[in-house]
Amino acid sequence: MRFSKMARRGGLVDHSRQRLVLVASVLALVASMVTLPVAEGTSGATSFKGSITIASVAPFTGADAALGPKYETACYAAAQAINASGGVMSKQVKCKTVDTRGDPADAVPAVRQMYATTSNLVLVIGCTSDEAATVVPIFGAHKTVSFCMTGQSEFDAVHYPYFFRLVPPDAADSVAMVQIAKRHSFKNIALAFGNDAGSQTFVAPAEAAIKAAGMNVVSNQTLDMTASTFQTEAQAIVQSHPDAILMEALGAAGVALLSEIYQLNGNKMIPTIGTSAMIDPVFFSGVTSGPIGTQNFISAFDADNQTVNASGPAYPLYHKLVLQQAGKVKGVPSFPGLLSANGTVHLYDGINLAALAMDMAKSTSGSKYKADVIKIAEGVKGAVNVSSYAVGLRDLKAGKKIHYIGVGGSYQFDSYQTAFGPFEDDQFLANGTTVAVGGTLGFCSLTVCKSTP
Amino acid sequence: MSVFLSSLGFGLISAAVLAIATVGFTMQFAVTNVLNLAYGSVMINSAFVTYYLNYHAHLNAWVAMIGGVLTGAIASYLLNRFIFTPFQRRNLPPITIVIVALGVDLVGTFGLQAIVGGSYFSYKQSLGRELHFWGMYLSTLQLIIIGICVVVMGLIHWLLKYTRLGKAMRATSANASLARNSGIRTQRVISSTWLISGALCGLAGTVFAMNTGVFVATSAQLYIVLLLAAMFLGGPGSAYGAMLGALTIGVATEVSAGYFNPEYKEVIAFVVLLGMLTFRPYGLFGSEKTI
Amino acid sequence: MPSAFAFYLATIIVYGAVDSMACLALNVQFGFAGLSNFGFIIFQAGGAYVAAVLSMGNWQKSNQGFQQYVLGWHLAWPLPWIGAAIFGGLLALPFVFLVGKRLRGDFAAVGLLVSAVLLNQLVNNFVPLFNGAAGISIVPAPFTHYFNPQGLGYQFAYGGVAVVLTVLVYFLLRRVTESPYGRSLRAMRDNDIVADALGKNVRVQRTSMLILGGMIAGLSGAILVGFINLWAPGAWGYAETIVLFAAIIVGGAGNHKGAILGALLVPLGFEEVTRFIPPLSNPALVPALEWVAIGLLIIGFLWFRPDGILPERRRILSGAGKSAAAMSAPVSAESDSLINLGNLDQMDFRQLLRLEGDASDHGIILSTDRLTRAFHGVTVVSEVSIEIQRGRLTGLIGPNGAGKSTTLAMLAGTLAPTSGKVLYEGRDITSMPSNERAKSGMIRTFQLASEFKKLTVLENLVSAIPRQSGDSFVGALRGRRFWGRDDAENIERASEMLEGFGLTQYADSYAGGLSGGQRRLVEIMRALLAQPTILLLDEPMAGVHPNLAHKIGDQLTRLVASGMTIVMVEHELAIMDAFCDPVIVLAEGRVLAQGTMAELRAKKEVVEAYLVG
Repeated sequence: MRFSKMARRGGLVDHSRQRLVLVASVLALVASMVTLPVAEGTSGATSFKGSITIASVAPFTGADAALGPKYETACYAAAQAINASGGVMSKQVKCKTVDTRGDPADAVPAVRQMYATTSNLVLVIGCTSDEAATVVPIFGAHKTVSFCMTGQSEFDAVHYPYFFRLVPPDAADSVAMVQIAKRHSFKNIALAFGNDAGSQTFVAPAEAAIKAAGMNVVSNQTLDMTASTFQTEAQAIVQSHPDAILMEALGAAGVALLSEIYQLNGNKMIPTIGTSAMIDPVFFSGVTSGPIGTQNFISAFDADNQTVNASGPAYPLYHKLVLQQAGKVKGVPSFPGLLSANGTVHLYDGINLAALAMDMAKSTSGSKYKADVIKIAEGVKGAVNVSSYAVGLRDLKAGKKIHYIGVGGSYQFDSYQTAFGPFEDDQFLANGTTVAVGGTLGFCSLTVCKSTP
Repeated sequence: MSVFLSSLGFGLISAAVLAIATVGFTMQFAVTNVLNLAYGSVMINSAFVTYYLNYHAHLNAWVAMIGGVLTGAIASYLLNRFIFTPFQRRNLPPITIVIVALGVDLVGTFGLQAIVGGSYFSYKQSLGRELHFWGMYLSTLQLIIIGICVVVMGLIHWLLKYTRLGKAMRATSANASLARNSGIRTQRVISSTWLISGALCGLAGTVFAMNTGVFVATSAQLYIVLLLAAMFLGGPGSAYGAMLGALTIGVATEVSAGYFNPEYKEVIAFVVLLGMLTFRPYGLFGSEKTI
Repeated sequence: MPSAFAFYLATIIVYGAVDSMACLALNVQFGFAGLSNFGFIIFQAGGAYVAAVLSMGNWQKSNQGFQQYVLGWHLAWPLPWIGAAIFGGLLALPFVFLVGKRLRGDFAAVGLLVSAVLLNQLVNNFVPLFNGAAGISIVPAPFTHYFNPQGLGYQFAYGGVAVVLTVLVYFLLRRVTESPYGRSLRAMRDNDIVADALGKNVRVQRTSMLILGGMIAGLSGAILVGFINLWAPGAWGYAETIVLFAAIIVGGAGNHKGAILGALLVPLGFEEVTRFIPPLSNPALVPALEWVAIGLLIIGFLWFRPDGILPERRRILSGAGKSAAAMSAPVSAESDSLINLGNLDQMDFRQLLRLEGDASDHGIILSTDRLTRAFHGVTVVSEVSIEIQRGRLTGLIGPNGAGKSTTLAMLAGTLAPTSGKVLYEGRDITSMPSNERAKSGMIRTFQLASEFKKLTVLENLVSAIPRQSGDSFVGALRGRRFWGRDDAENIERASEMLEGFGLTQYADSYAGGLSGGQRRLVEIMRALLAQPTILLLDEPMAGVHPNLAHKIGDQLTRLVASGMTIVMVEHELAIMDAFCDPVIVLAEGRVLAQGTMAELRAKKEVVEAYLVG
């Protein structure tokens, strides 16, 4: 109110001085924001000298807000078990989230701010297609090991020494989806993929794999993720009479498309094969609360997924830990639904791998322990199999070599440090969890699925 | 041919929703001379009220719809009373009001998002059977929406042509000072117009959400582009122009989607809008004096 | 200083420079030229794209060809950035059609906004050119083969270069806006119809600003892309433009430092501060509230402090001594009847207004041939054929609704006739646009208040003077050394005029703050300084106190005696009687009679229709 009164008075008089004061105070405010991290000292909350931090760098807000909580859950779950065993080199593990807002330009200052405000950062997890391209080089420059979830083909083509991918690129997902279609003897396939960066990477490999398998693409719809209805696309798909639809469309768009296909198809769902990202509790609740309904949906929907060793030795502990995080992590409608989400599964394993590697290298510095990540994941000659941090730590202390076999099985890395593991065919249960059906799909590369890697 | 007919069907429902929205939008422009870019936020808030009443308060769908309509009416009225009118009194250039409207749109849309979060909301209601006739595919719900649209358009026509209020509205939009001098209580007319157009806005938001089936707080953010295209095609400020424009845009976008790449279906709307602004900003049937 | 913090600081410096540069450019378009470029982001994104594809190698040969794009010429810095600026400027050209004077400012703004949305959609979906939504990654940073782009020294150097460029942009833009050309831009902003009627080419000016702003926007995009090494459509949505507008509104539209301040506070400060907020129960809450805050900032500032934190500076054109007096004299509503035009009697109009030609020549200078104008089927002006003599004060009179102002508008070119012709000095000028007519010496005034509100009185006057060397884009760029002397002379002339009219003490006051009568005088002075051969006055005495009106009338008569031609629309009989000769009477869109007042009084139909009582 003071300002408007000043403006109305005629003449300059003290205007310039008042303006100067105003500008100075505003600049002081800006300067104080910038010095905040220094004043704040180390990472905000309770930071004791004996702790290390793992950061989930991912979208927690925006269109892909469903992704961040998956990774955060993995961190809390793994950290809980690690801390129960005394931590890494006697240091407790803390989890931190860094919201990239799904914007690669925004992600850069976010990551820089993370480094400025986090002491003892030892590992980064998450980094999806939304931001990986801009932040992975920064992680490399800081020599921070990163376990990323991005499926971008850039990372099959360029070497980043500190970048690890525990999930194969999207091209392998496509091949796995086609494998599922092959199993059901589907011949005519419709494609429906969102036009966002993460979804378009599936199309070309899918088309190639379909052709190689002797099947036909009868319709290829690219979905504008900002549109609200997809009647024309749905109609086009229905009219092409496909045996199955391969799709990835996250968010409201995927739900809308499936509902419209259902209706236009005479209230019947066409068999749909989704990517592993569609194993998502938010998506599940969205589709099943629409006109399709739970029963119709789960009986016609499959998703490819990297193998979750549900019957393996690592699973029971993992299961227990994830469910215990309910209430700690926001933005997850159903925790059981996360159990087979590949972000949660593989990053849980990744954290265990990194922690064990740190113990093995006796250092939390990325340059020192990254080689051991590979050794523990692939298992050197004479290594004993372990499937939990506690057991692995015990064996390391006893001087043994270890081979970590996690919830996602054993990880073999290629030259770009991407692990190609076996795939499975998942179906939803009524409560939103998934279960593998029909036996393993095999090891799927960028072009074909084989029974051995 | 079958592609054309089925697209035509989709175009009709798209046009129906668009028509209800555009008529309200153009009425606001007619009496206040303001491009209310906050229209989309009122639409989506009304949609949420309807959804909430339907699902959480377990009210009948029709009753819930009335709730949405009322929300739109009241919100629009308040918007004009407390934001647009005071700003307009200050004799600022028209662009300032447009920027203010953008600000209100941000507050309305993201205020809603702050309250309900980013997850999406689906309508489970049984949409009835999918009907297939004359080559078109429309669900029962969609036919109901088209029916609602026809009824509402008829009501607007009756309002404008046969009631005193309607005549006063037309006079005020043509020449406000002349209308005032002729004894028309323009303030009252303007308030009534915002209530009525706000009701249309609320109704449009509600049927928009019901038609798409699943929506989030930001679903209507880009709807404004279609609204503008429809309005400018028929002539800014003309209700009948709005109806015609909506029909054309609705059908044209869906038909083009049927034949070309559906990702680009809204491109037609953009091109129409830019074309109209370049060559005939007063619409196909208007003339320069009207703006 | 811990080095992680140093990296963060370097990032902030680069982002701050990019945002400042963008806000400076948008401010010149919006705050100075009144061009609401809601599509601003197009130019930034376009420039960034070109910088990216110019600096990268051929797509098929790079990185196993995982991404598609065009060009790929692998150019070294600074060529990609120069290319970005050029492309940003070129992008302005398709929008020429949106920025003419015929389209309302808010309509044009909406058109630009829609274009931004449209292009974003096209880019997201069209792969061969833009690689779709994935964008283009691994964009090389400048000199990436010589230095490590991830090194702290490099990043600070990058930030330094960005800041230097921003400062250069600041000085460049200041050079443009603090010149006679800048004055014309601001005049156009304040009232584009009037600026056009005074000879300014509104479309060309706006297009120039689009090009200039586009070039700078393109450069800012290039700087960002080179730093984050990625070009992604997701980063260039139309919402970004709204944030920039909020920044300018907060910082101060029409003030370069305000633009920088706004950039530091809103896109930079706001974004960074929110990172420090600890994670809340609902993680979606913070960004949603950010947008709400931006909306509230826009509404709040436009209501309480529309000038922003750093308002536009007042330009003091007169000498320092005078300005002190002007500033402390409050502008109050003086009684119009007391305005003294006495000095004018001493002034030599022929010299002051550069009048040429024989003052006793009364040939026909302007005529119309069956001029007609219809709106919506209603004929407002019908088959009007009139002749205007040189060196005479012709009155255009008639009852309300007779079509007088419409006819005047058609004479001046601000309205196009439905049919018929306008002939000026023998030439058919019917299709000549109004600003061209103004340049040929046909100057009109308007019925309603048409001063340039946020220009001082002196600026209002000087802006009208034609053929100023600094009143072009190139002239402005050449700097004060080029146009300084010419401008000083023009200011001198305007000051003389001001003195003649007895308003010297208001020289440096904003024209919008004067009383009604004073503003009318400013308008007349301004019209005179435009060196008219023929003056078209639209009810100049409307709302003016009779005493003052009489004084004005006297001076108009003197003007005419010096050789100027004046056509005056008026409906006040007393004025007509006293000053106008000949007179043209219009009624219901037709010419009822033409001739001297004496002749008209003799005509029965004129007397009956109009001269009653």
